[in-house]
Amino acid sequence: MPRALIIEDDEVTAREIVAELVVHGMVAEWVADGRHGLDRALEGKFDLITLDRMLPGMDGIDVVAALRRAQVDTPVLMISALSDVDERVRGLRAGGDDYLTKPFAPDEMSARAEVLLRRRQVGESGVNRLRVADLELDLVTHAANRAGQELPLQPTEYRLLEFLMRHAGQVLTRTMIFEHVWGFHFDPGTNVIDVHIGRLRRKIDQPGQSSLIRTIRGSGYVIAPAD
Amino acid sequence: MRPLTEVWSAATSRLMLIYGGLFAIWCVVLLGAVQFESSRYLSGVIDTMLQQRITLLSRSEPSGLKGAIENAVTIDPAGVMWLGLFDDHGRRIAGNVSALPAELPVDGLVHVVESGALHPVVGRPVRSRAVVMTLPDGRRLVAAKDSRTIDGLGAIMRRGLLWGLTLTLIPGLLGGFLLSRAPARRIRQMQLAAEPIQRGDLSRRLPVSGRGDEIDLLAGIVNTMLAEIERLMGEVKGVCDNIAHDLRTPLTHLRARLYRTQQQLKGPEEAASLDACLADIDALMARFRALLRISELEDGQRSACFQPIDLADVMRQVHEFYGPLAEDRGQRFELDLQPMPATRGDPQLLFEALANLVGNAIKFTPAGGMVTLRSANDDDGGYIEVGDSGPGIPEGEREAVLLRFYRGDGSRSTPGSGLGLSIVSAIARLHGYGLEVGGDGHGARIRMRFGPAASAVG
Repeated sequence: MPRALIIEDDEVTAREIVAELVVHGMVAEWVADGRHGLDRALEGKFDLITLDRMLPGMDGIDVVAALRRAQVDTPVLMISALSDVDERVRGLRAGGDDYLTKPFAPDEMSARAEVLLRRRQVGESGVNRLRVADLELDLVTHAANRAGQELPLQPTEYRLLEFLMRHAGQVLTRTMIFEHVWGFHFDPGTNVIDVHIGRLRRKIDQPGQSSLIRTIRGSGYVIAPAD
Repeated sequence: MRPLTEVWSAATSRLMLIYGGLFAIWCVVLLGAVQFESSRYLSGVIDTMLQQRITLLSRSEPSGLKGAIENAVTIDPAGVMWLGLFDDHGRRIAGNVSALPAELPVDGLVHVVESGALHPVVGRPVRSRAVVMTLPDGRRLVAAKDSRTIDGLGAIMRRGLLWGLTLTLIPGLLGGFLLSRAPARRIRQMQLAAEPIQRGDLSRRLPVSGRGDEIDLLAGIVNTMLAEIERLMGEVKGVCDNIAHDLRTPLTHLRARLYRTQQQLKGPEEAASLDACLADIDALMARFRALLRISELEDGQRSACFQPIDLADVMRQVHEFYGPLAEDRGQRFELDLQPMPATRGDPQLLFEALANLVGNAIKFTPAGGMVTLRSANDDDGGYIEVGDSGPGIPEGEREAVLLRFYRGDGSRSTPGSGLGLSIVSAIARLHGYGLEVGGDGHGARIRMRFGPAASAVG
């Protein structure tokens, strides 16, 4: 079972993170201040760390920077009340792997945590072909085909499909999709992303084929073989 | 806008010119009066002399008159006073006056003779004052005096005037110019100090020189007002931020609980109603995020991550991002790019601003309508314009739509936080861009201008 360390000084938030991660099958440990958190992160073998940006004892940025200096490469999800892009950039530069702004929806948090966990397990390089059921995507030629039939994709559709397929079986929220596929960090409203997903769906699901991209109510999307 | 210092120096030079002109006019009037009075006085003296002389001569023995005149002429070789005796046909009997001046009335009063063959010594006609008197025996007696002395006085006065004006006006104007330069320099400093304040950085103050003069006094007053405005703005912002911060924590918790309940429920009906609850809470949280986002943007510290950007590229990305949505709604979405100046900015924020504008345009335009995203140039410079064929924004609401939470009456039923345009407005302000809201009955047009907003959108 993956082990997660939660470094968070607000007890209510911490309990929510713990509860949500436990629901997703993780073992979670909570530490309330930065210095203690750093110690635990250095000695414990964790698969994931969620780290508040503003902490008593030691700032979140300093914690992650110290971790990286000590060659600890555990994925770190930074969680902060500071939503500014500058803060995000600072957090990621210091060594954070993802950045989530408070207030956050728990499913958003767990979706990001899952992606970080999986990335650690699988690694990102070395693959040049992704496959979900009978859908194939060639990462070199950008060609997609389903059941042997070529699918013409626009560049954006390709990036969207690649992101979904790289994280096949994982829930991806609209915000995550917007951040990764388009590279922007703000709230674009829900329906624009839905429309893009809708188009992609119409392209990859021909009549008579099972739908591969599923909508997760209230959260986002997941691409997976139909049950 | 012209720089304030330019206006200021224009004002001081105008003032100096007016003052110099008035001074010159006053000098001319003064010296004119002096000249007038003194020549009147001198003329009076000459006239009395001439009158006395001619009266004296006329009363002397008629037979000795010729001799007396000849004597008088002899002892006056310089020709100070000219005398002449003529017979009733105008022929000269005695004296140094060559002929009777034709224009001179024979009435025993002194008159000015502009010219006339009068002067015996100079040998040509000169301006003079003269009197003619008819004696009882019909002969005519003339006495005259050169009036160039008086005219010479006028010339001296005019020269004096010229010197006086030159010697006072030149140092005066020069001094005035030099004196006005120091305040102009300080006004320039204030202008420089005020620029960030105009852009919204209320923490800046006007410079105070410490001399305690009028400019310092004014700067002090303005600084006090700025401090008060800053304090009030801080309080308002603090209250807003606190509310948003305080409310979003319980909201987050509430959402988490609902979400967990929803995950545990199996019945589709309960799940559907919980879905609606979650959607409502998400909308609320989006609104809080937007509020805090505006607050962050308004702190105005973002220009640090400005970089050279290609606005056309940002516009293409926005077009690409929203194209499918417009298409799904049966709208035409056109992109029209004109060459735009190279500029510095934050591409993330500019994308967000344009995305908000385009998102709004798509939202308010009915199916079959049209949305345009274009860049263009006019006399006031370049701009990016988002236009649509929706209901448009009523004239009276165009200022208000940029305010926080404002939503037109027609848009109450449409989902949205009412904060989109406030975010756009904050981003534009951060870049020093102007926002112009316009349009007509056939749609709204919002322009983001690379410079201060022009008065109105055509």
